[in-house]
Amino acid sequence: MPLMLLEHDAKAVLAQCGVSVPKACLISSYEEVARAPIPLPAVVKAQVPVGGRGKAGGIVRATAPSAAMLATRELLGKTIKGHIVREIRIEELAAGSECYLSLTLDPRTGLVRVLASDHGGIDVEEHARSGILARTAEFSQAGVEDAIRAIGAKTGGSFEPALQSLAGPVSRAFFTFEAILLEINPLFVRPDGTAVAGDAKLVIDENAVVRNPQLAALLRERAAAYPEASLKLEHGFDFVVLDPCGEIALVTTGAGLSMQLVDEIAARGFSAYNFCDIRTGQFRGDPARLITVLSRIASGSRVRSVLMNFFAGVTHLGELSRLLLTALERAPQLSMPITVRLIGNGLDEALEVLRAAPTRLAVEQDLERAVSLALEPLARSKA
Amino acid sequence: MAIETGSSRFLEPDVRVLIQGATGRMGRQHAALMRAYGTRVVAGVARTGGEKDIDGIPVFGSCADAVARTGASAGVAFVPPLAVLGAIEEAVSAGIGLIVTVAEGMPVADAVRALGLVRSAGVRWIGPSTPGIAIPGRTKLGFLPDVSLRPGRIGVMAKSGTLSYEVCHRLVLRGHGQSLWVGVGGDAVKGTRFADVLPFLLRDSATDMIVVVGEIGGTEEEELAAEMSALGCSKPVYALIAGQTAKEGVTMGHAGALVFSGAGTMRSKQEALESAGARVFRRIQDLVDAVTTAHRP
Repeated sequence: MPLMLLEHDAKAVLAQCGVSVPKACLISSYEEVARAPIPLPAVVKAQVPVGGRGKAGGIVRATAPSAAMLATRELLGKTIKGHIVREIRIEELAAGSECYLSLTLDPRTGLVRVLASDHGGIDVEEHARSGILARTAEFSQAGVEDAIRAIGAKTGGSFEPALQSLAGPVSRAFFTFEAILLEINPLFVRPDGTAVAGDAKLVIDENAVVRNPQLAALLRERAAAYPEASLKLEHGFDFVVLDPCGEIALVTTGAGLSMQLVDEIAARGFSAYNFCDIRTGQFRGDPARLITVLSRIASGSRVRSVLMNFFAGVTHLGELSRLLLTALERAPQLSMPITVRLIGNGLDEALEVLRAAPTRLAVEQDLERAVSLALEPLARSKA
Repeated sequence: MAIETGSSRFLEPDVRVLIQGATGRMGRQHAALMRAYGTRVVAGVARTGGEKDIDGIPVFGSCADAVARTGASAGVAFVPPLAVLGAIEEAVSAGIGLIVTVAEGMPVADAVRALGLVRSAGVRWIGPSTPGIAIPGRTKLGFLPDVSLRPGRIGVMAKSGTLSYEVCHRLVLRGHGQSLWVGVGGDAVKGTRFADVLPFLLRDSATDMIVVVGEIGGTEEEELAAEMSALGCSKPVYALIAGQTAKEGVTMGHAGALVFSGAGTMRSKQEALESAGARVFRRIQDLVDAVTTAHRP
């Protein structure tokens, strides 16, 4: 799966591969700012994994330490495009002409698209459509490096030496860290042909972490900044808090159907606390994963209803039901109503097991009815 | 890019199938289930050796041996994600023409290499991360659930396994089964994309309509729309797209389902598909109702 690194980590990767990045410090609390060596003039940047942070108010310039501290206080805890700001990167303002460089794996062809422009910045899409230089490279470090050099040869001025010197480091970063996308925008190019990465977007392949020591080290060191990826790495399933104020929690299997359930709940005017793909097929008789998910749900302060959906293609529902009861016993007590939708192999046995359960569960076979049932307690209080 | 497999049908109902990873937990279980469904499972392949057969299915040490001895021309790989590329390499060099890889979590770099390999060999690859393909009532390669399978007139193609199970199950309850079901998988880099399947469904006289189970992210739905326009899509297409509430930068389980600055958004997919003549739905039941209103089972 693709994982977008925070700017701070993307720049650390680039620096490690030989790309110049501005001097910076990473701040996670207001108290830290006072002690931090703030480079001036500074850019105070919210660390959230989305594009367009500048336009969304996530990037503030500061010429004095007091201004940087003020900006930090305002940005920490703010929500930008749905992501809570937990870290701030304060970096030295870079100067030079704003250029653009990106490498993208085209999933359809399996080739890498290299784009470069001497008109970068936040409006690159609008400004550079005509002036953008593109080249397609085979999926190899040497191929991508050659493509960047070839584009460089077509440009002039200081952009050409900048691209020539970036070709090696940038392609090395892309392949060493098994990237899907790498974008440097703006890339500040100085008159002498040196360049510094003003911003960096790096999307890596989470599937490669298990065999790539560099990626594994990066995620281990920064586990707190990537809670979902760390959970996936450690426990092998997906759990994402979507809305901390969400009132309905989901225990579901299958990425597509789970995503669709979040949509269906939204279409009925409610907000799901979480997304979850628990992967029942991998339980192998162990309730641990269910217990982990139930514990996480228990920490959702506003959750007032739980919807479980198990469309069992292969998993035996009888066995699954017994695991569920064990998990409910061992996990923190959930006081809210639980609706369980079951369908597939071993349904009759599952119904028997759940009927005899000490915990009261509403069991449904039809998903539409299960969703309605699960939303009932919420709808009542809304009305 | 459409890949010609040399056959005008996407899947031959009596194709001889070998199972890679046949002595593993999943391979053993699904070999038996597939055979019980009617699939001609003729061979298992396992590196470990030691076992001559699993439940009467002969086990060979290599794909080449299995192909030579049994005439298998399709394969389903039940191997871990990091072993998928190797399994594909072996199947391709043994002359297998259709490969299904079910494992989730294949590294993208491996998928790119596998894609190059199958394309140059003219082999069809379904996957990674797919529940498989089926002609209901005849054969299935993978583990599409029986409660959702029923012979019928709908051609199904889906990025998501579970969501397509739910959609097809509801349609089956209303009397609508499938002529062909292709799970293309939820990864970004994959062997077979929606647009590759479309020409087969349009040519297939057993298919009256097409149900597409799509997802936010990537450009497959947009590519499908372009292919529909290019081919002059003569059959009704009903599409469901999951992930309308997904926010930028959050991955929800599937590799393709990550939106970056406008590409692969819900709006882009809906507009592309609708302008190509498809009907696009955001709720499962709306799609099911539309299909059952327009077509008698």
